[in-house]
Amino acid sequence: MNATLLIAAHEWRRLRAQPFAWTLAAVVLAFMAWQFLLALQAFVDLAPKLGGLKDAPGVTDLVAIPLLRSLSNLLLPLVPLVTMRAFAGERRAATLPLLLASGVGNLRIVLGKFVGAFGYVLVLVALVAVMPLALAAGTTLDLGKIAAALLGLALFAAALTGIGLVCSAWASQPALAAAAAFALSALLAVVDAGARLQGVSNSGINYLALPTHLEPFFRGIVASVDIVYFVLVAAVALALATRRLDTLRGSAD
Amino acid sequence: MTSPAPTLALSQAGRRLAGRAVVRDLDLELARGEVLGLLGVNGAGKTTTLRMIAGVLAPTSGSVRLGGEDLYEHPELARRRIGYLPETPPLHVELDAEEYLRFCARLHGVARGAVAAAVARAIERCELGEMRRRPLGTLSKGYRQRVGVAQAIVHEPELIVLDEPASGLDPVQALRLRELVRGLGREHAVVLSTHVLPDVSACCDRVAILHRGELRHAGEVHASATTSLRVGVARALRADDWRALPMVVAAEPLDLGHWRVELAPGSAIDAFAAAVVAHGFGLTALGADALPLESTFLAIAASDAPAAAA
Repeated sequence: MNATLLIAAHEWRRLRAQPFAWTLAAVVLAFMAWQFLLALQAFVDLAPKLGGLKDAPGVTDLVAIPLLRSLSNLLLPLVPLVTMRAFAGERRAATLPLLLASGVGNLRIVLGKFVGAFGYVLVLVALVAVMPLALAAGTTLDLGKIAAALLGLALFAAALTGIGLVCSAWASQPALAAAAAFALSALLAVVDAGARLQGVSNSGINYLALPTHLEPFFRGIVASVDIVYFVLVAAVALALATRRLDTLRGSAD
Repeated sequence: MTSPAPTLALSQAGRRLAGRAVVRDLDLELARGEVLGLLGVNGAGKTTTLRMIAGVLAPTSGSVRLGGEDLYEHPELARRRIGYLPETPPLHVELDAEEYLRFCARLHGVARGAVAAAVARAIERCELGEMRRRPLGTLSKGYRQRVGVAQAIVHEPELIVLDEPASGLDPVQALRLRELVRGLGREHAVVLSTHVLPDVSACCDRVAILHRGELRHAGEVHASATTSLRVGVARALRADDWRALPMVVAAEPLDLGHWRVELAPGSAIDAFAAAVVAHGFGLTALGADALPLESTFLAIAASDAPAAAA
């Protein structure tokens, strides 16, 4: 096993040993299950009227996609809570030297932390996805559209994890890291709100916004420009986190 | 034929932090089977030096070599060949000792099949048997320190770097730790930092004293050729009275009834005691004087002017 996967597996082991990760997962799943049941009830109530419409939206559009869109909103505060301890927690507990003195390069350490946190978020996304996918037992789902939405969510989560990690590397306190990551992610989520109000949807500022690139996935459109955007955000964040580790090696803590 | 490269060699190594030279022009060598004590008051540069030696902090000048290879040109050397215990043991408190040590072993490149044996050996050496399944967060300070040492030796490195390993331990724990370090020193090269002199005299072969980032003294811990004694006498004496004894090379008064007396190399202490009694000095007490190291350390710690390394 290489060092990146070793560190990622260790992060998993540590998460598994903490009540925090279990509590967070329980809260997220309970909240999403509640949303799912509400959406399903609304769909069941609406179904007789939909039957008379031509090209009426199905359960995928009215239950599955809204649920996954709702999860994307929840990821904005959730991911920073998962990533906040990655480096800030290690610094606070004075455990970072264990990794720094291991001879494993800074990039591998950052990638290990990334894979660990991202893996945990992906499991949550997968568990939430099981809810609408369970409907396949009784109805026909647009699996292609759901797959596109899940791919978008995964890429979105990767970008948020990267942002969370770089904030954790820069902040000295986990709470500060979480607050900074949430603020930065939220800023990227609403950065083009003003432009949209003006009716501008195709400018540079729109390109910077996270929803601009996430929304097409929810419509079943997988475009390379959107994939590249999320990969770029994550890559830049991880590069900055690696740079920060270089600096931390030289600092007093 | 050239002699093999020392396990550790610092050559003119220095490190600047925030524009200030924290450590300057360090020259040190250490071979397997030796324990080097790095002494210095707080802020002398001990931790920075150890971090350079451990591969955490690259020197801004000079070099750190491990077995002849530059540590910062080959950072992967640190993975397998160095074990480092920082001042605060880097413990993941939510895990138990076994889980934690398994990770440390794998992190330092121990093959998957050899991890169980390596962890068992480290647990046995650090006497952690009873605590192996307890979460690290529930362990006492002494046991945490032992787990810290265990993570530094689990991969059987050539060089073990320990930063203040006995800090905060009670006397019994400190004694056990000294025994452990002494044992490690037989098979590995060990560098430890401390400001506790008895730690150095108990478990180190060599000592290096740092002050204000400079190496002010380096030498053997037990190098003194003479024997220094603290002698209590009932009679009022002069230094010349002591020199009348053939084995005495120097004597200085400590107070009215006590003298520090240095004997010539090879002198027997019982012969000295017999001579004192025969001369009617009124012997009231006889004991080993403080280590020569102590006076060297205190003199360096009290000085502010740079001095040449011994």
